[in-house]
Amino acid sequence: MNLKACFLEQKEGARDQQLQARMEMMVGYVLQAGVLISGLFLAAGLAWRFLATGHLGFDFTLRGMNLYEFLVHDVHAAFSGAARPRLLISLGILVLLITPYVRVLSSMVYFAVVERNCKYTLFTGFVFAVLTYSLFLR
Amino acid sequence: MVSFWVLLLISLVAGFIGAMSGMGGGVVLIPALTLVGMDIKHAIAISIVSVIATSSGSASAYVRDHITNLKVGMFLEMFTILGALAGAAITIISSRRPLFLMFAFVLLGTWLALFLQSKEEWKPLAKVDRFSRWLELRGSYYDQAQQQQIVYEGGRAYFGGPLMFGAGLIAGLLGIGAGALKVLIHDLVMGLPPKVSTTTSNLIIGVTALAGTSVYLAAGYIDPGLAAPVILGVGAGAFIGTKVLVRLTNMAVRRFFLVVLLILGVEMLIRGIRG
Repeated sequence: MNLKACFLEQKEGARDQQLQARMEMMVGYVLQAGVLISGLFLAAGLAWRFLATGHLGFDFTLRGMNLYEFLVHDVHAAFSGAARPRLLISLGILVLLITPYVRVLSSMVYFAVVERNCKYTLFTGFVFAVLTYSLFLR
Repeated sequence: MVSFWVLLLISLVAGFIGAMSGMGGGVVLIPALTLVGMDIKHAIAISIVSVIATSSGSASAYVRDHITNLKVGMFLEMFTILGALAGAAITIISSRRPLFLMFAFVLLGTWLALFLQSKEEWKPLAKVDRFSRWLELRGSYYDQAQQQQIVYEGGRAYFGGPLMFGAGLIAGLLGIGAGALKVLIHDLVMGLPPKVSTTTSNLIIGVTALAGTSVYLAAGYIDPGLAAPVILGVGAGAFIGTKVLVRLTNMAVRRFFLVVLLILGVEMLIRGIRG
């Protein structure tokens, strides 16, 4: 496929509809998995905290940090073995934040590799780049 | 310090009302959190994290029903995320009173829009411009109620896109999904059928909220200990809300929501004026 044709408007055919339906399933499962895993981490963190201390409330604030620092912070805490319920809570929030991010990334790859739609690869690529910038830079 | 159970209860109720009304949890959550003593900027930051959860949860179901238009969503997202980044940055440097006032304005605006809402039938756009055609914004879905395949094509994307920057701005600024505003743009400007516009706006809200969240996270406004019960509460409330929605009539839901919106709007207005 040459580059110019790739940017032209694509006529919808049976193949496109099938591709689109598959993409919809993919996006749906990415979102569902993210929300469920995040919810499990959060609930487990709260339950663990309750069993260990008899309290449910957590009282910790993050200093301003980006997603990358948040991740590093969590991994450090995991290896030091301290404050485990807290770690689960952080992981739950981390997974939640990554969920739409992964959705955008997987759509971008799908548009590029499977649908071969240059326009939408660029569009999702732009969204991905902006999110990456906002999540990882300060 | 707000107690865990109060947080959980408020979030459950906010998620429940948000899902039933289709407005999302933030509109109820933020005023309620400020009422129990939370700082409005922290309430906004926590709310926008929970918006990611509710929108992703419901979008995952809608997308697999093949009603959401992914291309419309992914085109418009480019505008909403930029708006959300700008909005969140403004909130962080803003003083608190304008935030209360803006929130009141949005609540009362939503109230007015709902109150004046007409029950017009959806009609396809007469003519679709070349730019929108190039964007491939067409689609079709099977409507259960009408028992037929609905074919549509989105138009006026050159106008809808920039308007979505504004919707994203409000979402980032106030920590809400701003779904009502997005649906309005989809309906009135781009000529999408109501079902497509609500489900597609749901998809966009998740990414928009993430953009806003990144700014609040970097500024240190996200408190995981408080966010955890809110995310779980709003999520559970929204889940129950969507189940109940099937059983309650539309009219009852609307009346109830109109009253809630009005009370919260007036309350935020008073707090904004008094300071």
